[in-house]
Amino acid sequence: MLNRFKSAVIGAVTGIEVNGLNSGPDINQKNHLAPKFPYGRPHFLNLEDEEVQMSADHRLRPIIHPSKPLPYYAGYAECVNAGKSKWNEDQAVYRLGVLTKITTNDIMGPKKYTIPYTYYGIFDGHAGVGAALCAANQLHHILHEKLVDAQDDIWLEFSGKQQAQSKSRDLLIVGALESAFQEMDQLIAEDRNKYQAAGGCTALVSLIILGRLYVANAGDSRAVICNGEEYQPMSVDFTPENERDRIRRLAEEQPALLGKEFTFREYIRQPKSVDLGKPIMYRNAHMKGWAYKTLQPEDLKMPVITGHGKRSRVMGTIGVTRGFGDHDLLAVYQKTPIKPFLSPHPEVQVHRLDKTEKNEVLVMGTDGLWDVIPGSKAAEIACKALSIFSEKERYVSAATCLVGSARGSLVHEHSWQLKTGKQASVDDISVFVIPLFYYKEEHEDWKSRYLANPMDCDEN
Amino acid sequence: MSYAYLFKYIIIGDTGVGKSCLLLQFTDKRFQPVHDLTIGVEFGARMITIDGKQIKLQIWDTAGQEAFRSITRSYYRGAAGALLVYDITRRETFNHLTTWLEDARQHSNSNMVIMLIGNKSDLESRREVKKEEGEAFAREHGLVFMETSAKTAANVEEAFINTAKEIYEKIQEGVFDINNEANGIKIGPQHSPTNPSLPGAGGQGGSQGGGCC
Repeated sequence: MLNRFKSAVIGAVTGIEVNGLNSGPDINQKNHLAPKFPYGRPHFLNLEDEEVQMSADHRLRPIIHPSKPLPYYAGYAECVNAGKSKWNEDQAVYRLGVLTKITTNDIMGPKKYTIPYTYYGIFDGHAGVGAALCAANQLHHILHEKLVDAQDDIWLEFSGKQQAQSKSRDLLIVGALESAFQEMDQLIAEDRNKYQAAGGCTALVSLIILGRLYVANAGDSRAVICNGEEYQPMSVDFTPENERDRIRRLAEEQPALLGKEFTFREYIRQPKSVDLGKPIMYRNAHMKGWAYKTLQPEDLKMPVITGHGKRSRVMGTIGVTRGFGDHDLLAVYQKTPIKPFLSPHPEVQVHRLDKTEKNEVLVMGTDGLWDVIPGSKAAEIACKALSIFSEKERYVSAATCLVGSARGSLVHEHSWQLKTGKQASVDDISVFVIPLFYYKEEHEDWKSRYLANPMDCDEN
Repeated sequence: MSYAYLFKYIIIGDTGVGKSCLLLQFTDKRFQPVHDLTIGVEFGARMITIDGKQIKLQIWDTAGQEAFRSITRSYYRGAAGALLVYDITRRETFNHLTTWLEDARQHSNSNMVIMLIGNKSDLESRREVKKEEGEAFAREHGLVFMETSAKTAANVEEAFINTAKEIYEKIQEGVFDINNEANGIKIGPQHSPTNPSLPGAGGQGGSQGGGCC
């Protein structure tokens, strides 16, 4: 437990980790509590205790993959960070689910339909492993309940019996995902004084149901569809830089959230005290353009968003703006609560699988992958692995090669380098490679059985 | 189960020479003729006894495929022993030994014990590499040599255990610094003079060259 605290502090000091230092005393206090879920690697890896220890070797960073095949030989691989935290703070999960629908028909009597779905999730934790473990263990259960709630309406549209006031199946499934994400975050909030400090995590979930892929993203993990060497992003990163507008507007509307030391205003250059009384170009949160104002002492406050790209931060502290947890997160120096600016709300993209080609795969990865491997390169690596290996090994090999490419190799004692000589990822890296074509086929099978004879749809 | 030492091994060699079968025979005492292709790395472990001491062997079984070569290289670091395997019925797997050995020497710590293994000794009728050739190669490069059969289990125990004995002797001679886990040796929890730590950041050794695929 102490080690976990230490690693969070070290991470914050070196600037690799997104936070930690600020909530020191809090975490210390909460370390008397037990973790809600014990640390481990994803269940489908079936690692024994000794292997869990081995997997966390920061010098070797072994690339771990499932020993038993996942459905449709879907690929997964992961490796631990280079030492920024003791454990791998990423988590991953997949689940096969079924919605069961019983309809009554006057002539035929009751009929039972089953709608299968598949769920993949990756969660990138920070300031501890707790939130990611909660998400990996609980989010799919919450989502299942939401889907069950919506299944009658989903079925109406699918069976062509939609009524005027009913919502489309897409809106219902997107809604199930959105509300499940909200509830997951709420659950972590309710647990905050019952269990060890959870930290926070990002969430990227892919749900494949009724011939469509729904990608829900809250954070900076990323999903892309790769087809040969072409790729199509299925998510947008939520970083302070990309969410600048949302956060600054919220701050302008509720300035109390900023405490005394932050401002929602943006300035053309950093205001300095020597410039007090002079004009400076600025804009408020809702302004598109720029205007002049006279520099006053209150303008010397720190902007709520600072930095650019991977280094952008909310309140100088956290580099990701959506996800679960972080309920006790405070700004590093100012100790202002940050959670009001963070959101568990996912953006959901919908993709129809009916035109999916044989080699199309969905690559889901944490930022450990995407920090060093652009989408085009990921497509190239996946495409090559898919062409070398046979069906059974293809997707696991692609995932392994993607993780291997991002991790690079250790040179000169401490430096992990890419093939190109550039710095490799020192973060935890987790990757799914999911063959979409099989899901298209699965759905076509299911649909033809349903259309031919609805009775046959009863798979139980 | 508690142990006095943990030795880390790595198994290397061309694809299809029987690396995973040797591991399975050693850890599970069974032979599986059709084996899935190893991707990246897979793990095995078994306890043995040397000089009355319990020693845990932690074995990293690597992929022989060229596509994974750079990933395989990254695992040499921190291994105390290596089994370099060729197939006595396929001459090319013997011809590639020099490349494997160069790779191993370049990327491992210099004290790593390397055991050369000519596997599939049960397939005498299809033999392409004479036992003497294996012996000569081992002599020339300072390796220990054995022919094994993962199918009949002939010499499989010996290969793993003799490698461990050699490592154990090196520890007794003080060649290995047992407090440095980068050497692939870990002192068992109850035998440790100081509190054993989990693998930390940084470390010894280096590896050069490419990423995956």
